[in-house]
Amino acid sequence: MSRAYTSLGVDRIDARYKVTGKAVYAAEVAVANVAHAVIVGSTVARGRVKDIDVRAAQRAPGVLAVLTHQNAPRLPGGAERNKNDRVDRTLQVLQDDQVVYDDQPVALVVADTLDRARFAARLLDVRYERVETPTVTFDLRSPNYAPPRAVRDTTDSNHGDVARARGSAPVVVDATYTIPTENHNPMEMHGTIAVWHSSDAVTVYDSTQGIFGVRKKIAHVFGLNAKNVRVLSLYVGGGFGCKGTPWSHVVLSVMAARAVGRAVKLAVTRQQMFSLVGHRPHIIQRVQLAAGKDGKLASVEHDVVSQTSRFDEFVEPGAVTARHLYACDNIRTSHRLVRLDIPTPTYMRAPGESSGSFALESAMDELSYAVGLDPVALRLVNYAERDQHEGKPYSSKSLRACYEQGAAAFGWARRPLAVRAMKDGDGWIGWGMATATYPAGQSPASAWASLRADGTALVRSGSQDIGTGTYTIMTQIAADALGLPLASVRFELGDTSFPETPVSGGSRTAASVGSAVKQAGWQVRQALLALAIADPASPLHGLSADDVDVVDGMLLSKTQPSRRDSVVAVMARAQRPELVARADAKEAESRKPYSLHSFGAQFAEVRVDEALGSVRVRRLVGAFAAGTILNAKTARSQFMGGMVWGIGMALHEHTVRDLRSGRVVTRDLADYHVPVHADTPDIQVVMVPESDPHVNDVGAKGIGEIGITGMAAAIANAVYHATGKRVRDLPITPDKLLEVPV
Amino acid sequence: MLPGRRAGRDEGLERSDCPTVVALFGEGNEPFADEREREAIRAELRALGAVLLALSPDVLWLFRPDDEQQSLEPAPRAPDGGPPVLFQQLGVVPERGRPGLRGLFVVDGGGTLRFAHRLGHDERITLRAAVEAASRAMLLPAAVPAGSSRREFLLASLLTGFALAVADACAPVPPVRDAASLPQDQLDLTLQINGESHPLRLEPRVSLLDALRENLGLTGTKKGCDHGQCGACTVLIDGRRVLSCLTLAATAEGSKITTIEGLGSPEALHPMQAAFVAEDALQCGYCTPGQIMSAVGLVSEGHAKDDDDIRELMSGNLCRCGAYPNIVTAIRRAQKEMTGTAADGAKGPA
Amino acid sequence: MTAPFTYVRVTGDADAALDTATPGSQLLAGGTNLLDMMRLGVVSPTRLLDISRLASSGPWGRVEETDGGLSIGALVRNSDLAYHPVVRARFPVLSQALLSGASPQLRNMATTAGNVMQRTRCPYFRDIGVPACNKRNPGSGCAAWDGFARPHAILGGSRDCIAVHPSDMCVALVALDAIVHVRGHYGAGEGLTERQIAIADFHLVPGSTPSRETTIGPGELITRVVLPATPFAARSAYVKARDRASYAFALASAGVALHLEGGKIRDARVALGGVATKPWRSHEAERVLAGHEPTGALFERAADAALADAQPRPDNRFKVPLAKATIVRALTRAREAT
Repeated sequence: MSRAYTSLGVDRIDARYKVTGKAVYAAEVAVANVAHAVIVGSTVARGRVKDIDVRAAQRAPGVLAVLTHQNAPRLPGGAERNKNDRVDRTLQVLQDDQVVYDDQPVALVVADTLDRARFAARLLDVRYERVETPTVTFDLRSPNYAPPRAVRDTTDSNHGDVARARGSAPVVVDATYTIPTENHNPMEMHGTIAVWHSSDAVTVYDSTQGIFGVRKKIAHVFGLNAKNVRVLSLYVGGGFGCKGTPWSHVVLSVMAARAVGRAVKLAVTRQQMFSLVGHRPHIIQRVQLAAGKDGKLASVEHDVVSQTSRFDEFVEPGAVTARHLYACDNIRTSHRLVRLDIPTPTYMRAPGESSGSFALESAMDELSYAVGLDPVALRLVNYAERDQHEGKPYSSKSLRACYEQGAAAFGWARRPLAVRAMKDGDGWIGWGMATATYPAGQSPASAWASLRADGTALVRSGSQDIGTGTYTIMTQIAADALGLPLASVRFELGDTSFPETPVSGGSRTAASVGSAVKQAGWQVRQALLALAIADPASPLHGLSADDVDVVDGMLLSKTQPSRRDSVVAVMARAQRPELVARADAKEAESRKPYSLHSFGAQFAEVRVDEALGSVRVRRLVGAFAAGTILNAKTARSQFMGGMVWGIGMALHEHTVRDLRSGRVVTRDLADYHVPVHADTPDIQVVMVPESDPHVNDVGAKGIGEIGITGMAAAIANAVYHATGKRVRDLPITPDKLLEVPV
Repeated sequence: MLPGRRAGRDEGLERSDCPTVVALFGEGNEPFADEREREAIRAELRALGAVLLALSPDVLWLFRPDDEQQSLEPAPRAPDGGPPVLFQQLGVVPERGRPGLRGLFVVDGGGTLRFAHRLGHDERITLRAAVEAASRAMLLPAAVPAGSSRREFLLASLLTGFALAVADACAPVPPVRDAASLPQDQLDLTLQINGESHPLRLEPRVSLLDALRENLGLTGTKKGCDHGQCGACTVLIDGRRVLSCLTLAATAEGSKITTIEGLGSPEALHPMQAAFVAEDALQCGYCTPGQIMSAVGLVSEGHAKDDDDIRELMSGNLCRCGAYPNIVTAIRRAQKEMTGTAADGAKGPA
Repeated sequence: MTAPFTYVRVTGDADAALDTATPGSQLLAGGTNLLDMMRLGVVSPTRLLDISRLASSGPWGRVEETDGGLSIGALVRNSDLAYHPVVRARFPVLSQALLSGASPQLRNMATTAGNVMQRTRCPYFRDIGVPACNKRNPGSGCAAWDGFARPHAILGGSRDCIAVHPSDMCVALVALDAIVHVRGHYGAGEGLTERQIAIADFHLVPGSTPSRETTIGPGELITRVVLPATPFAARSAYVKARDRASYAFALASAGVALHLEGGKIRDARVALGGVATKPWRSHEAERVLAGHEPTGALFERAADAALADAQPRPDNRFKVPLAKATIVRALTRAREAT
C-alpha cells in the first residue's frame, strides 16, 4: 500500500479554525439559557465545615441555587476502588463536612451571570471546626509506605548484588535530587457545561483528555446508564495530564444542572487550577552510581519518595527508567509514598520519566566528571543493547544515532571537559546533555470509516486532540488507508457516540487510535477492491486484490497501471451509497516479544550570569528516534513543546504551599512561572529515521512526552559545566546559584 | 448568535438569527418516534438555540424547543403531484412505503450551510441521531472537505428562504423591559467590534472579555487567567494591543475594538494568521488568538528589529504548549509581508 | 468576585466629576491594577470614576519639556512614556525601567499615576482567603513574616508588614528626584489647588500602619509627575534581576545615574527596587560614590553601604548579594554609557 500522506508535514487541519477564533472549546459551546456556577473552596486544609450561612448569597441578585454538603443531593455512586482510579474520593464532592485539603470545594453558587455567581460566592460565610495544622511537606525522615504498584511496574526491583558491587567499586556517586510540586497550568482552564435531557440522560461538554473516562465516572457517580451520558470535547486547550481524569468540577456542574433545571457552565478559575485538578508531586530521589575507573557501571540504585494525599494514592514512578536505561547487572530501585494534607497528585507530562531522568541523568553527569569521561562517551560505555529488566530485546533502539546526530548538530565535539572554561563577558557558558526515553505504549481502540459514493470519506473515533495533532494525523492515516486524497477525508473525534478509544495520555494515541483508523480504512479499501474486481464492467475485473492499489481516489493495477477505475465509478456501478467498516484494534501481537521505547539525546547551552544568579538557555538540540514520524511538522512541534517544558522544570516551576496553613501561595500565573517567549531560544529538533515493524500497525511510538525527558538534567548539567555549581534542587533560581559555593 | 442574547432595541423589527434544522421525511404524519425522542431533540435544539422544521410530502411541522410542536400549512406539492419542490431542490427523493428520515440540513444563524446529509437508499437514521450529528457539526467551524461551495451557498439560501417563508420560524427576542423597570445597576452600551455595532445591557463590572465571550458569542478571545497574567485575552483597542480581561466593557465604549474574528476568516486569512498556519505556530490553539492579536500589535508598534526583540515583546503572551520558536518564525514572516521590510532575523538570544 | 459598583465616565476635569472624597469612590485609569484587585475581592469600591478619556484633554495625557526637565501627565500610558524620544535620550533609566516591567499589553494600558499608586504583589495580601494581613485587615497580623517570604522586602519592613513595592518605574523616578503634583482641596473654604510632593516622600514605609501606603488621601489625585532638569540623567541605567527572562517582577533591581567629571563621580543617584517596602533611595550608596573614581571596587563598597541595614527573612537572604550585584551592574552600565 502506498503511503502518501503520512510522514508529510501537512498543515494542521484544525489550524485555520484555531487562528481565526472558530475552534470552540468546552466553556464556549453556545448552549442556550446557560447558568453559571462558581466553586467556593475551603480556606483550611484539615478540619470540618461547622456551618455555612448561605442566606446573603441566596438573596443576592440572579442567584439560582447555593449547594453545600447540607443540601447537595446524595450521589448514588460511592468512591470506587480499582487500580486505575486516581481521583476517586475527589469526586464525592459536597457529600460530607470533612475538609481534607485547602481549597477543597465546600459550596457551589449558581447564578444567571458569571459576575453574579462570583460575587455571591464571596457572600457565603463558612465556619470551620476541629481545624488542625496540616502537614504539607516531607523529607527523607518522614514516615512513608510502599504502594502496591508503581503504575505499570513493580514498586521495587532488585537485580544482582548491589551492596557488594558498590562496596568494591572505585568510584561512587551518591546524591539526592528534588523536584518540587509543579502544576500543569494548560492555557485553557478546565470547564464543563452540563445539559440534562430527562431525569436520567445528560450531555456534558467538557475539556478533557478522556471523554470515555468522564462518561464512565459521571455514570457511576450519578447512578446513570452510561448510554445516557454523552460527553463531547472537540477542542482542548492543553491537558498535559491534568485533564486525564474528571475532577470535582465535572460532578458539580452535572449536579448543579439538575438542581436548577437549566444548563450549567462551570469554569475553573486559574487560582483553583492549583488545587482542584492535580499536580506533579514533590519528589525526592536518591541515586547511587558505582562504577569502574573506565566509567562502566557496577551498580545503580534509585530510591524515590514522593507525596500523595491522605485519601487517595498516586505514584510518580521516577525509578522505572533506571531499571533498563543503562546496562548493568546490579540494579536496585524503590518507590515510597508520604501521605500529606494535600490534594491527590496526578500524571504530569512524562510522569516518572521526566522526574526520574532528572535525577538519573544528573547523577550520570556527576559520574562523568568523577571518571574524567565526556558525558556522551559515558552513556555509550553503558549502552544497553537489551532491556535487562524485562529480559527482552528492544523492538528498535536508535539511541546511538541520536547521540551522534544530536552531538553533531550541537557541535558537542568542541566542548571542553573542564568546568568554568567558557567565559562570556559577565557570564559563563556551559554545555550539558542527557538521555531521553519514553515507553511506546498501545491500548485497544476502535474506529469507524465510511466511504461515500461521491468519493469522500468520513472517519470517526472517540478520541481527543489536545494540541497533539490528532485531527491531522488521523486524517492522513485514513487517507492513506483508503487511498483517497487528503481533502476528501474528514476525521471526527471528541464524542462518546463514536467508537471508544483510550485517554489521550501516555503518548499512545497515535499508536492506538492510529491503528484502529488504519484498520478501519483498510477494511473499507478491501471491500472496495472486492467490488471492483467482481465487476465485469471494471477494468480491474478479475485481478487479485494484492495487485490493486488505491491512490488519490483511483484504483489501479500495480503491474498494469493502465488498468484503472475511479472510486466514484466503482461505487456508482455497484449502486452503493457507502461502504462502512468498524475496526476494534487490539494491542498488536507483534509487540509481545519486545521492550518498546522511544529514545533521544538532549543537548543544552546555557549562559549563567553568576552575579545575578540568572540562567538563560541559549540553544537546545534534541535528537529523537520514535519510529515512523506521521507528520514532520506537528511532530517537530510536539518534541519542541516537551523541550520547552524541560526549561520550565529546570529553571522556573515551583508550587509553594504555606507550611502553616497548607494553602498554595503561588496561586496564579504571575507567581507560578512557566517559560515565556524570552526564555525560549531557537530549538533544533533532529528526527532520527527509525522503522519499527513490531511496535504497532502504524509504526509510530508516540512523541508527546519524550521531549521533556532528560531536558531538565541537560540544562542542570550545562549550568554545572558553566559554573562548577551543581544544583540538585529544582528549579535553578537565582537564590540557589547565589548561595551554593563553588 | 442565539435568541435572547442581544438586547435589541428594535426587537420587533430585528430578525433573531438562530440556526434552523430542516428534516425531510419519506412519509408520515409524525416526526418523532416517541416522547423520549422528542424530549431528547428538544434538549439538543435548546443547546443549539435552534428550531426544527420537519416536513414530509404531506405535512409540515415547526418545533421550537420551548414550545410544543406546531403543525403548519403543508408545502404545496409539485405540479406533477410529486413531493414538494423543496425535496427535489435538496436532492432528496422520498418513496412511498419508506417512512423515516431521508435528509437533514442545518443552516446557522449567519445563513451558512453547516450540515447536509441525504440518506442513502438503505440508510436508516433516527431523527435524534441525525440532530446529534448536526449539533456536532455546529461545533466545528466548517465542513471538511469543503465540497462545492457554490452549491452549498445555493442550498443554504434555499433553506434560509424556506425558513423565513415559514412565519415566525425563529423565537423572537424577548421584549426588553422599559427603563423604569430595569435594575439600577445596568448600563446600556454600544460596542464597536470588528466594524459592527453591538448594543448591550450589562452590569458595569462586566469585563470586555466576558462581554465578548458570554454576551456576544465572540468566543475567539480567550480567558487564560482573568488577571492580566497570560495575554490570551489580547485584543486591539483603537489599534493598540491590550488585555480585555482588565478592561471594562463600559470603558471600551466609543473605541474601535478588533478581535481575532475581525482579523480574517478560515477562507480569507490575515497574513499573520496564514503565517501561524504555515509555520505550525500553534498546538492546542488556546493562546493562539491572543498571540496573533498581540503580534499584529507588535508589528504596528514597530519596535521589533530582530528575533530577540520579538521574543521580548511577545513575552506577555504565554504558550504552555511551547510553540514559541514557531511563533517567532511566523511573526518574522508575517512582519515582512505586512511592512514590506525584513527584520534582521538574528538567531539565538544574547 | 467583583462587588457591584456605579460607573461614572468622566469627560471633563471639573471638580464635581473628579470627586474622590466621597467614601467608596475610586479613580479608574488603565485598570491594570485596580480591576485585578477588585476581581480578587481585595478592594471593593462602590463608585468608579473612569478618567481614561481625560487623556485627550489638557495636560493629563501629555509629555512636555520644561526647562530641561519633563512634565509627564498622569494619564500618559507607560509604553508611550517609555518610547518617548526625550525620555530615551535624556532619562534612559526611566525608559529602561518601564520596558523591563510587565508586558507590552499592560504597558499600553497602564498610566503614570496608576503605576505610582499600584499595590503590592504580596501573595498573602492578594488572597482574601488568608486572614492575617495587616495591610488588608489592620491588626490581623502578617502571614508573610513567618511564611513564604522569598519575594519580600529586606529594607523598610516591620514586624507588621514586609510587602515589596513592585514598580520599576518608581525606582527610576526616585533616582531622578521626581516631583508628584497632586490636586485637592487644601485649606478651609478654598477651591482646588495643587501641592507638590517629592517622590521619595510620596510612598510610606508600613511601620505599624501598613494599610497607609501613600501620603495622599481621599479627595486628592495626581495630575502629573515632573522630572527636574538633571543633565547627568542621560548617564543612567536600570538593571533588573528576576526569576525568568521577562514578564516577572523584580527579585532585586537598581536604577542609577552618574555625574562624571574629570574622571571622578561628582554626583550619583542610586535607587533600589524589589527589595524594599517603598521605592528606595540609597543616600548611603551615593555618599560612598561621591568624589571618587568609578572603579568596580568603589561600586562594591557603595553596594555594601546600600544594603548595610538590610534585614532579610530566612527565605530571602539571597536578596542581599543579589541587590548588591544589581547596583554594581547598573553603575557599571551607567559608567560605560556614551
